[in-house]
Amino acid sequence: MKSEFFISTLKKQISSSSSISTRSIVQMSGVSASYDSKDLVLKDVTLNIHRGINYAIVGASGSGKSTLLKLMNGMMTPSDGVVLYNYQKPSLKNKEFKKSISKIGYIPQTLGLVKNMSVMDNIMIGALPRISGVKSFFKMFPEDEIKNANDILKLVGLNGKSKRKVYMLSGGEKRRVAIARALMQKPDILLADEIVSELDNVTAREVMDVIHDAQKKLNLTAVMIHHDMNLALEYANRVAVIKAGEKILEIGVEGEQIVDFQTGNLSQEEILEMYDES
Amino acid sequence: MNPKNNLLIGAIVAVVVVMSYDVGVEPIAFFEGLPNLGIVAKEMTEFESAHWETAFWSMLETIEMAFIGTIAGVVISLPLSIFAARNLSSKFVYAPLRALLAATRTFPSILWAILFVIVVGLGPFAGILAITLYTIGFISKLQYESIEAIDFDPVEATTAIGLSKLQLIRYVIIPESAPHLLSQILYMFDYNVRQTSILGIVGAGGIGFYIINYIKFFEYGKAAMFMLVVLVAVLAIDWISVKIRDKYIMKAEHGRQLKPMN
Repeated sequence: MKSEFFISTLKKQISSSSSISTRSIVQMSGVSASYDSKDLVLKDVTLNIHRGINYAIVGASGSGKSTLLKLMNGMMTPSDGVVLYNYQKPSLKNKEFKKSISKIGYIPQTLGLVKNMSVMDNIMIGALPRISGVKSFFKMFPEDEIKNANDILKLVGLNGKSKRKVYMLSGGEKRRVAIARALMQKPDILLADEIVSELDNVTAREVMDVIHDAQKKLNLTAVMIHHDMNLALEYANRVAVIKAGEKILEIGVEGEQIVDFQTGNLSQEEILEMYDES
Repeated sequence: MNPKNNLLIGAIVAVVVVMSYDVGVEPIAFFEGLPNLGIVAKEMTEFESAHWETAFWSMLETIEMAFIGTIAGVVISLPLSIFAARNLSSKFVYAPLRALLAATRTFPSILWAILFVIVVGLGPFAGILAITLYTIGFISKLQYESIEAIDFDPVEATTAIGLSKLQLIRYVIIPESAPHLLSQILYMFDYNVRQTSILGIVGAGGIGFYIINYIKFFEYGKAAMFMLVVLVAVLAIDWISVKIRDKYIMKAEHGRQLKPMN
């Protein structure tokens, strides 16, 4: 059952993968990372994320998935290997990279919303890097940014709730706010860490559909971490599996073929075997 | 109970006994003097309500002083607490600032009131300055502690978006610590009303001036009336702050509980 679902969902992606360009936006080569310079949470990971792609990273808790995202937006730096975002090394100390950080839509697992603020103010946070210090301090937002925010509210299905305080929202609605904040950044890429893993099946798919729609409309590259392999296969063009800090599998569709990018061309049976093991 | 605890309790009791002897604690004098309290209590019941109007206006002055002092103190505390928070400022800024704030808290506001009476003369203004200074010391401390304890997730998320430090303070730090701030302001105002009630003793304005003078001239009945006004005012303020707390703070705290566990 699992296998049939796996093949059919991947094949569905073939039709939607036409807009993927071959230019990469994130490149990682031989990357290792650790929090305390002792135990490595990532070991020798190499991956390449093309523009326009919907990339999923799947793995168990503590496998190093979140670290992988934090390396892409400079919240962490690798202890070994090279990470490039748009051909720049992501780091908060890198001045060149800091110019592009406002266009990396980042949704951490905790969402990072300001609970005591309204939905609108939370969304506006995404636009703040474009608004001058004095205007942003007094919440004097430019007309076009307000229009932007209202459009995005509609897109994520939160219209009519802009004045509501975030702590009053449901789990699904909070995720929509986080997505809206990221979209408000006018992002080149969207990084989302287990955004639906705490939601029930129906709500999870609703939230994923919101992202999927936005992605199509804005031709957005997305890197999403998932706990659930089924969700990853359903929405992504390419899926990487991380286990104990190592990339053990990377599969995707190319032409009519399911390809294993990790070890070369494997047969579908071999891929499925690895999937079942993970 | 283990022997170690017994030893510790024994030691504390011994220290209290020795210290009591040292400062001259006389329990017998207390019981011998109790009838005096009865005399005062009896005179207090001979309630003189002739000056209730004076009492009302001087209580109003007291509340006004406390209010101005609290608000002025809070306004000054807000930027200071940001500079004194270890997660926002450098060591060279927060360390000396914290020492300065600790110094303002060292003396009760009545001592600051004496100092300000010397500076600006007798009257409510000296009292307001004293209350302001004490509020700065206290609210800054409470506020930098709550800033240091705020949820780090939104800070991390907004740093990754590329917010400036000023924007981070305006959009994350202040809103996230606001429920604490409101609760602290209410507490401080409550405390300041009681403090201001005695500042009159040193001539720094407020209802305390009348209370101390009536007591000095043994007019306990009049003093009792003024003290009753203070009691009613403090109870009323307490009741109002409970209402404000319920409306704004409990709701935010409730929202906090709804946060999904990660």
